Amino acid sequence: MDISIRIAGEAGQGLAVVGNLLVGAAATAGLQVFSGKSYMSRIRGGLNWSDLRFADHHLFGLHERPHLLLALNETALEILRAQTAPDAVMLLDGKEERPQTLTIDFTGIAKQNGGSDVMGNTVAAGTIWSILGYPLDFLENFIRQWFAGRADLSGQNLACAAAGYDKGLTLPIKLTAPQPVQAPASVTTGAAMIGQAAATSGVKFASAYPMTPGTATFNWLAAAADRYGIVVEQAEDEIAAVNMICGAVFAGVPSMTTTSGGGFALMAEGLSLAGMMELPIFIVVAQRPGPATGMPTRTAQEDLKFVVNAGHGEFLRVVYAPGTHEQCFDLTRIALATAHRFQVPALMLTDQYLQDAEKNIAMPSADYAPIERGLVDGEPENYARYADRPNGVSPRAIPGHGVAVVADSDEHDEAGHLSEDFATRIRQQEKRLRKNTGLLESFIMPDVYGAGDADIALVCWGSTYGACREYVDTMNAAGAGKFAMIHFSQVWPLPGDRLKPLLERPRRLIAVEGNLTGQFQTLLREAGIHRAMTGINRFDGLPITADYLAVEVKL
Amino acid sequence: MIAIAKADTQPSWCPGCGNYSILKVLQEVLATGAVDMTKLVLVSGIGQAAKMPHNIPVSIFNGLHGRALPAAAGIKIANCELEVAIFSGDGDMYGEGGNHFLHNLRRNIGIKLFVHNNQVYGLTKGQASPTSDIGFVTPIQTHGQKLQPINPLAIAIVEECSFVARSFSGAPEHLKQTMLAAFAHRGGMALVDILQPCVSFNHLNTFKWYKDRVRPIPADHDCHDKMKALELALRWGDEIPIGIYYKGTRKSYEADNEVLAGGTLVGNYYHQPPQGNQ
Repeated sequence: MDISIRIAGEAGQGLAVVGNLLVGAAATAGLQVFSGKSYMSRIRGGLNWSDLRFADHHLFGLHERPHLLLALNETALEILRAQTAPDAVMLLDGKEERPQTLTIDFTGIAKQNGGSDVMGNTVAAGTIWSILGYPLDFLENFIRQWFAGRADLSGQNLACAAAGYDKGLTLPIKLTAPQPVQAPASVTTGAAMIGQAAATSGVKFASAYPMTPGTATFNWLAAAADRYGIVVEQAEDEIAAVNMICGAVFAGVPSMTTTSGGGFALMAEGLSLAGMMELPIFIVVAQRPGPATGMPTRTAQEDLKFVVNAGHGEFLRVVYAPGTHEQCFDLTRIALATAHRFQVPALMLTDQYLQDAEKNIAMPSADYAPIERGLVDGEPENYARYADRPNGVSPRAIPGHGVAVVADSDEHDEAGHLSEDFATRIRQQEKRLRKNTGLLESFIMPDVYGAGDADIALVCWGSTYGACREYVDTMNAAGAGKFAMIHFSQVWPLPGDRLKPLLERPRRLIAVEGNLTGQFQTLLREAGIHRAMTGINRFDGLPITADYLAVEVKL
Repeated sequence: MIAIAKADTQPSWCPGCGNYSILKVLQEVLATGAVDMTKLVLVSGIGQAAKMPHNIPVSIFNGLHGRALPAAAGIKIANCELEVAIFSGDGDMYGEGGNHFLHNLRRNIGIKLFVHNNQVYGLTKGQASPTSDIGFVTPIQTHGQKLQPINPLAIAIVEECSFVARSFSGAPEHLKQTMLAAFAHRGGMALVDILQPCVSFNHLNTFKWYKDRVRPIPADHDCHDKMKALELALRWGDEIPIGIYYKGTRKSYEADNEVLAGGTLVGNYYHQPPQGNQ
């Protein structure tokens, strides 16, 4: 049992407040909660919305058609009313009457109850809460928590919420909503989970140039900087950001940057530097549709091949693509640890959808548990930063700790000094690329979910996890066949020999991706997986959902 | 395979290059013991000047063209107990790295920035640099340079860089004293623009051209007087002042950072953050 709500209006109307109140109250009540944001690249006007979904079972994604639409203006109602579930409830803020719509003057009610204009949003939250049939005290408790220490605001908002709730009781409608299941009260986002994992894993320096949707993680780090002892520096451009973290990693502290496709394009040379100097930098690339500025506030999975191939010359990297909030946390730590173990850059591909998606989860530990940096101790004799080793991993020391550490962007000898000697070049390039054996061994195998002996498998990566999983559950429950999901949370490098058996078993493979060209299919072919796959490719800027798959997958 | 090792030696500069004098002076400066070599990191980008660090037996980060400053800033932030010094050229620092130059002046981060300024691109063989004089003819600027040259000292003074100086590779004692003063400076970024002839590619601004024009700044110059410093920085032509132009009073980036007040990032890596577990 689950229910979906869409709150829509123009930027600046405070629709996020309605969403935050309802999400907070629902999580406080113990419902399973998932929410996502869809917004235009502007500060005022336009059409933005928040989607909320409450359930009595685990949620991993959103519905395309809400059961309740709250339109904060008429444009929102006009545009979105056709995209609702059958018999959906339509609420319109204001005084204008519209067919099959309940018009309520939320702002007026707020004023009558001692609130300000913007508290019309709190009234609306109260009304929706009452239509869903939940007890008012969950909403009240959350409001008290939210406005803790600001008694005046807390009091006004409580009055507005109660008035809205009472208004809802007078309405001739009720929706059947799921009952609470003791789900966790803590709500988080993908962006925050990456930030928290980085902070607890020992990232001490973060430098970035603001770019939607990567900024959300950078914001989280800035807010936590004093608590965890992290220097957060806004760089003058993405080139500076990546070179700054190269310097900081060279000096010994795990460091990261966050960006999106366009900003990452500027980092390509710096990534290559990290490849040459063997610096374990960490880059989060939150994808949005391109090319160029593209659709700045929308979602996509278009930068996979770019991230895997970015940078001139041949060098190694690891690329992760979390599909859930928990994976955002776990893979950030794994990315940092793997980067340091093998002295290679690590990248993480998220996207606007996952960065902004809210969900209540059992929060991982916020304790500081720094990763092993893999540094050599003491003062080794004849220290050579790039000494050849069977596994390609050379002894890494840091400056100021006993030995001189020499790193060069030019080809270099074992000591790190610039060299144009051909034999040296061959030795060093082979040494660097030899680490691929270890990287492949550390590969995280894809998550297989659903029927063990599936006929049809959805092959996916990154943020489409939730949509594919829900689709598989729905199809299996409906007895439509034996469905499974094969979800990759690591997308590079790919061990073709270990993946082959997994991908040979199902009768049919469907590759689900947020791009037009099927980029992951190309990578699989490169890894030696030559099976034909049906591509389901969404590239309109909106996230893939189970609803979308139900329409698009032709069986 | 051809064994090139024997030819693969430092330095790679032309006979008579100003870089030799600057290297010699740096070696003298380090020989005084004024700088803790175990804490010294030399950072450079790409260009002839950027090859300097490989001649000094300390930690080195020889990064990308134009990107010495952000890398050096990252090193300094990670471990502000390190002495971080950049050796860069006019093309590397003021051209390719111009944006970083501008913004790290704003950061006023405690980096010693030595810019070998020969007003020409050497490594790529003779194109105009950001400091080339108007009229300078090159294989690219065949009708002479028409772009207004960058005035790095004036920019640094306007942006409140905490130590702004100029010296000349042909005045080794002056350069030595200026370098020592820069290394002794503790308030934030120290910029030393070092005029230097390029014997192969700059036949306009020759050794003699500089020698005839450089004039030590009079001893009574008040280096805390911003407008006077700016007035000195705008002099170029018949007379070029050398010496310390300006000393600002802003706090350095690292002294003004709340997190670094608790110690270096590297030093605190294993320390439980004081309020970490909330």
